[in-house]
Amino acid sequence: MITLFKKELTYYFSNPVGYIVAILFAVFANFLFVKDLFLRGDSSMRPFFDILPWLFLIFIPALTMRIFAEEKRSNTIEILLTLPIVEAVVVMAKFTALLTFSAVALLLTISLPTTLMFVGRLYLPTIAISYFGAFLLSAVFVSISMFFSSLTKNQIVAFLLSILTIFFLIIAGGDFLVSFVPRFILENLNSFSPLYHYGSFLKGLIDLRSVLYFLSLTVLFIFLTTINIERRD
Amino acid sequence: MIVLEKISKYFGEKRALDNLSFKIKEGEIIGFVGPNAAGKTTTMRVIVGYLKPTTGEVTIDGKDPINERIDVLKQIGYLPENNPLYQEMKVFEYLNFIASIKNNRDNLESLKEQTGIKEVYESKIEELSRGYKQRVGLAAALIGHPKILILDEPTSGLDPIEQEKIRNLIKTLGKKKTIILSTHILSEVEEVATRIMIINKGEIVYDGAKPKGKGGVEKLFKKLVK
Repeated sequence: MITLFKKELTYYFSNPVGYIVAILFAVFANFLFVKDLFLRGDSSMRPFFDILPWLFLIFIPALTMRIFAEEKRSNTIEILLTLPIVEAVVVMAKFTALLTFSAVALLLTISLPTTLMFVGRLYLPTIAISYFGAFLLSAVFVSISMFFSSLTKNQIVAFLLSILTIFFLIIAGGDFLVSFVPRFILENLNSFSPLYHYGSFLKGLIDLRSVLYFLSLTVLFIFLTTINIERRD
Repeated sequence: MIVLEKISKYFGEKRALDNLSFKIKEGEIIGFVGPNAAGKTTTMRVIVGYLKPTTGEVTIDGKDPINERIDVLKQIGYLPENNPLYQEMKVFEYLNFIASIKNNRDNLESLKEQTGIKEVYESKIEELSRGYKQRVGLAAALIGHPKILILDEPTSGLDPIEQEKIRNLIKTLGKKKTIILSTHILSEVEEVATRIMIINKGEIVYDGAKPKGKGGVEKLFKKLVK
């Protein structure tokens, strides 16, 4: 697994697609937060963490869309699946590499709290917990995008399916549906949304139910990806 | 060693393989020939467990290549059709990667000479000529001393000189390994194989000794494949 993990991670660090996506993510994240910073007049990082799911919506599928789709298109998947390596290990290695790279991209935004510490009061435990929540959120999005990449040879199709799925998951936990959906349905729907569970981390709380939610959803999509790769039809 | 029993493979409604049955003994070099879309590649993929047959059974030394795939794949060196490679990697990176997965680097150094890739060892795969790429694919298949080699169109697209070099290498390897050589180049089979199988429209139409005399394989092929 380590061999395949290193190979995938090396690809993202040495290929323009990888580091351009990471840099653009960091630039946009910083810009969208900083542009209203002085208008707001407070140094809270909450607006930054509120933007993150919407940035992940675009950047994670963009990063992940090639992970299996490109192997299928170029048929290197035939090499990989005829080596003595278990399919689950292949999936875990690719997932771990993607998650590691996403974490590095997220870490590129650490300059924000570091700078804000000099201009205002920051409660560091809340920020650390919020970053942890963002990391768990990115894990879910990576696993979903990886699943859709395993379904097709076409990276664009994988990208679009990932974005659509993640978008609907995000809005299920938002106020957007209040006008359309009865309250009792909305309350139940909320608990399925990553945004709802992400919210507790932004308050500085590590809710174990939310951790379990993120881990379960991540594992589910890794499992579905493995089932798909194991198919020999 | 390799046993296929009543293997059929359907892709939806389309029948790719129809009731294939044959046994391959240790040390044989099988020339597996057929026209385009006959089912050669599908058969190779079923043998290595990349595709699951719709009906029938495959065993390699008594093991199922799908349910016991790790044990089976440790014994097999596979060169797929069109030789897919990770183009962004350098040759040595790719071979090291394969050796790590196979957990066997014993013959990595000797393969450089054996497959003639010493001078391109530090080059990026995407920069190589087709001939060198084919040699890299073959080197990867040979890592770890596999007992069985499955080569799907190993000389496809190569010039005559390169084709001869690969053929000579296969002949040398055939002294110690069981080889299935899938190809539509009949002269290649005539030179290298000890036994011929001809497949047409998913069925084995001939399975036996090489016909005697130069051009014997071609005559037999033309007679059986219409």
